[in-house]
Amino acid sequence: MAAVSISLRDVGRTFGATRALADIDLDLKPGVTGLLGPNGAGKTTLLRLLATALPPTQGQVRVLGRDPQVLAQRTCIRRQLGYQPQEIGFPRGFTAFAFVDYIALLKEWTEPAARHAEVRRVLDLVGLSDLGAKRIRAMSGGQRRRVALAQALLGSPPVLILDEPTTGVDPEQRVVLRTVLAEIARTSVVVLSTHQTEDVAALCERVIVLDRGRVRYDGPVTDLTGQAAGRVWLADEPDPAASVSWRTGTGRYRNVGARVRDGVEHVEPSLEDAYLLLRGGSPEPENAGEVAS
Amino acid sequence: MTMTLAPARPGAAAGRATFAALAVRETRRFALNPVFLAAAGLTAYTLWIGQRSTVTEIDGANTIAAVFFGGFGMLVAFWLTRSMRASEPVAGVTPTTLPARTAALCATAIVPFGCGCLTLLAFLHFHPISDPVYGAFSLPARIAVLVGQIVVPSLGGPLLGVALGRWVRFPGAPFVLFLILSGWVNLVMALTLARPDSAPVAVLRLFAPFALFTLHSDAGVTAWRGSPWFFLGWQLALCVIAVLVALLRGAEGRLRSRIIRALGIVLAAAVIMLLLAGTGGFTHAVTT
Repeated sequence: MAAVSISLRDVGRTFGATRALADIDLDLKPGVTGLLGPNGAGKTTLLRLLATALPPTQGQVRVLGRDPQVLAQRTCIRRQLGYQPQEIGFPRGFTAFAFVDYIALLKEWTEPAARHAEVRRVLDLVGLSDLGAKRIRAMSGGQRRRVALAQALLGSPPVLILDEPTTGVDPEQRVVLRTVLAEIARTSVVVLSTHQTEDVAALCERVIVLDRGRVRYDGPVTDLTGQAAGRVWLADEPDPAASVSWRTGTGRYRNVGARVRDGVEHVEPSLEDAYLLLRGGSPEPENAGEVAS
Repeated sequence: MTMTLAPARPGAAAGRATFAALAVRETRRFALNPVFLAAAGLTAYTLWIGQRSTVTEIDGANTIAAVFFGGFGMLVAFWLTRSMRASEPVAGVTPTTLPARTAALCATAIVPFGCGCLTLLAFLHFHPISDPVYGAFSLPARIAVLVGQIVVPSLGGPLLGVALGRWVRFPGAPFVLFLILSGWVNLVMALTLARPDSAPVAVLRLFAPFALFTLHSDAGVTAWRGSPWFFLGWQLALCVIAVLVALLRGAEGRLRSRIIRALGIVLAAAVIMLLLAGTGGFTHAVTT
């Protein structure tokens, strides 16, 4: 069994009067862990805590056995960390190669030949080997996301924190990136926040669902999907008994809900169904009877 | 899919090597900045055409480097410092701390400083130190005046730009500061013309990173009150203050306390230097 690489105990984070995270207890080991949750659930805050970009206001975080609150230990963590934030700006005039090279230098790759080889390697991994000389400002949104991912992959870090890495990336590249991340996750802890449940289903062994700063679900992806078994059905009309209904490409309605009437046409649940069921089954009244478009 | 294992990264001892490599990188960015290249070109051009004209007042000629290397250098350093701000979510979680990155940016000032030194040599070639345009100052004092007007502003402007870039978000901050400093230098010169022998006015005149020491009139060249040597000390203290203020951003723990302690010491030294500069040298304006 792999050793725990990241642990959080009773972790909380507030911004003024707003509580972004509360009572988070997690142990993360090598492998890909997906982080799901609605906007404002605290996913980015949690990832920033893990990436040592933000200290907790409560509780204890340990990354690779070290305390990020202690400066010297934080530096040690950062030597073994790759982080792709949700939002990143790029300096004017930098090419993809120059930017990743600059970050590599900040990551203490001081030997130019080794650094350049590493930069070429990560650009190749994200499919940008031909675009290294292109100015980042002239790149598409998806290409910029891949530049941001490339810098996170520098040195194949033991801890890789990715905040929505596949947003704006085309399907072919997403498949390539999944392969890359799966390979890294053999030895590294990869924590992946995303709104793309298909990425989580395809890549993660474990999923954590956050809602309003608290963990709503933490376990294997298959278990979460299994919770929706028998609770997803097709009908010609939106079913009032369903928590969530939407019109599919066939013109029929896919219904997800805990209360299932007899005689409906059940279908195989997806992770998205299970996630929606989890969200729709929440005690918050505003989620009940939601119809997603 | 097979993945090449990345080469082993250097350990904690690599901090100095990273700083050196980063300083070289930032220095190259500074030196190749079009605004700085334009400033260097304009300085060289101005010096070149200046040698053919008659200089009656040395202060009319030696502000060039302060404006181009100091002023434009401040702009370039400010832009360089701010250039990575948008990438801070990534750069901020690397093992290279913000103060280390700031120190590397401060190291870029060696470029305008070197240019300032070359300008001083060229200046002395075109306007030998024995020229009467330097007024009543002794030969060493003349050198001090020139170093304080050509070399140190070339160093201090970019350092001030780094400090501004670390603490001020407003993109036009270096322009505004440059205008304020220029306005202040002109204002205190007007005061000096009205009260040339006043020690407080001399202190006010020198309470700036750049000061004029002579004035040409029909009566001859007037050398103002004040010690060029102590003024140099004041200017260098300002440079150190700019570096320390820049380094303070993002400094934690022991480093932060050390910087604050050093700031206190240098501020005290700066005040002493300013007072000595204002009260030292000639006790009244001397016209020769």
